Amino acid sequence: MSDTAASDTAALLSPHQIALVDVNCFYASAERAFDPSLEGRPLVVLSNNDGCAVTRSPEAKALGIPVGEPWFKIAPRAKEWGLEVRSSNYELYGDISARVMQLLGRYSAWLEVYSIDEAFLGVKGTQDELRRLGHSIKAAVRRNVGVPVCVGIAGTKTLAKLANKWAKNNPGLNGVCHWDAMPAPAREALMARLSVIELWGVAARLTKRLNSQGIYSILDLARADPVRIRDRFSVVLMRTVLELRGTACIPLEEERIGREQLIFSRSFSTPITTAADLRQVMSVYAQQASARLAKHGLQAKLLTAFAGTSHYNPADTSYPTVCITLPMPTADPVLLTRASHALLPKIQEGIKYVRAGIMVTDLRPTGQQSPLPAFANPHEERGIGTLLEDISRRFGRGSVGLGHAGIRGGPDWSMQRTMLSPRYTTNWDELPLVKAA
Amino acid sequence: MGIDIGPRVIDAGTSLLSVLISPVPVAAGYPSPAQDYFDGRIDLNEHLIKDITSTYVVRVSGDSMEGAGISDGDELIVNRALDPKDGSVVIAVLDGELTIKRLRITASGVVLQADNPRYPDIRVPALSDLVIWGVATRCLHHV
Repeated sequence: MSDTAASDTAALLSPHQIALVDVNCFYASAERAFDPSLEGRPLVVLSNNDGCAVTRSPEAKALGIPVGEPWFKIAPRAKEWGLEVRSSNYELYGDISARVMQLLGRYSAWLEVYSIDEAFLGVKGTQDELRRLGHSIKAAVRRNVGVPVCVGIAGTKTLAKLANKWAKNNPGLNGVCHWDAMPAPAREALMARLSVIELWGVAARLTKRLNSQGIYSILDLARADPVRIRDRFSVVLMRTVLELRGTACIPLEEERIGREQLIFSRSFSTPITTAADLRQVMSVYAQQASARLAKHGLQAKLLTAFAGTSHYNPADTSYPTVCITLPMPTADPVLLTRASHALLPKIQEGIKYVRAGIMVTDLRPTGQQSPLPAFANPHEERGIGTLLEDISRRFGRGSVGLGHAGIRGGPDWSMQRTMLSPRYTTNWDELPLVKAA
Repeated sequence: MGIDIGPRVIDAGTSLLSVLISPVPVAAGYPSPAQDYFDGRIDLNEHLIKDITSTYVVRVSGDSMEGAGISDGDELIVNRALDPKDGSVVIAVLDGELTIKRLRITASGVVLQADNPRYPDIRVPALSDLVIWGVATRCLHHV
């Protein structure tokens, strides 16, 4: 393959770069993809139970609605604003996310799904090639899947995040920013203007502590002594400093829990080549996710499972992704394990998979709704999750695992989701309607 | 590739004949090589969907495409990644609604037509004046 040869040559000539692709206002964009009447109008998507605004379209931001604003505060003015409101449609978002990730896998054999709406891609090429690649990724996601993305490209993840943010907030860039292609004075000016709180992984509390040390802007942090930062703060923040200076040092994060999702993802020391082996891996992740959910008192309704091949072997690339709606919100290891196995039929036997993971989304506190006893999840009742966790703690991780078990699903005793759009892509009875008139 | 891809290849040629002679049943526990040859029922996804990332299924509401054999309640397979051409059945965004029409690209301009004489044509100066949501590739007509 001449493409392969070309990229090998490029690898020798130019260092590895990282692209962060991120869907703009993901939930709002997913809604708009199937309801074009929402285009250009203020739209907010509410959290579980219609609690508060989790996603705002740019028009809704312009109205001054802050993120996290409780719905009861927004509601009285919604009509006057002409505000469109939707409940979280996690099935739709999960499917759209899976499509985006699968498409991104075609652009790079090095793909790290970072969250439901963003992924890091390893890319190579000249500045011009990379900028064109960014634009072609942006156009393809918009065209194929139907949602807008921005692309930030840089030598490190932290800078790729920053470049992505800059691409989003600077219409002149048309959604793609290549950090190294910006003149150095422009990069410094931007970093001097932005507060450290704008940085990936820097929260409000850390910002206060940094400010007390005289570090306000991103440029201040980039110029700080990494060793002092490590001693006064943490290794994690030292990595941020190094990344701002162009040294890539943030490893693949194996486990993340956020407000909206939990991700388990690993690289394997030995590639996996069979569905049977991957079945074990997925089972382990599902059980870890289950334990983690239980620890945080959460249940999930949607599970995404994915696997990927190595970027060192561009001949055989495969990025299977599936998105499974669980029969009920659950932290049950059996249900999660079973759902994760839906990935297995998509595995191409013999191809070397070097990474796999699961992501659970549509999280909600346990016991937010109580199923009638007849519909309750039998495994949760018996405390299998807790038992497995106890055994693992006592005898070490992997000392016990689940075999196959039958599952009886019950209806999702719904929480309040009064403004839910149809499950356009996952339910045959709710397909998008096209007008023939 | 240099990777052992398992019994699928090893058995090719040698056991196909025996599979054809006595495909079933086999002793319990015997790893039937036949499984590798006969597990492929027709999968409509494989035949009807070219690109899973860009393909959606939609449902028709209305009778304006009767002439094309597309009736009220039929499902359509729509590929967003295709370039709309003269004669394509497209899903266009008209007044904020997904609308099915036949696209005509002529020297004098672009026309969205219904395949039913009761509905008037919609003329636009150029293709770029339209938002084409996707191109229909198949109609799942209810017979």
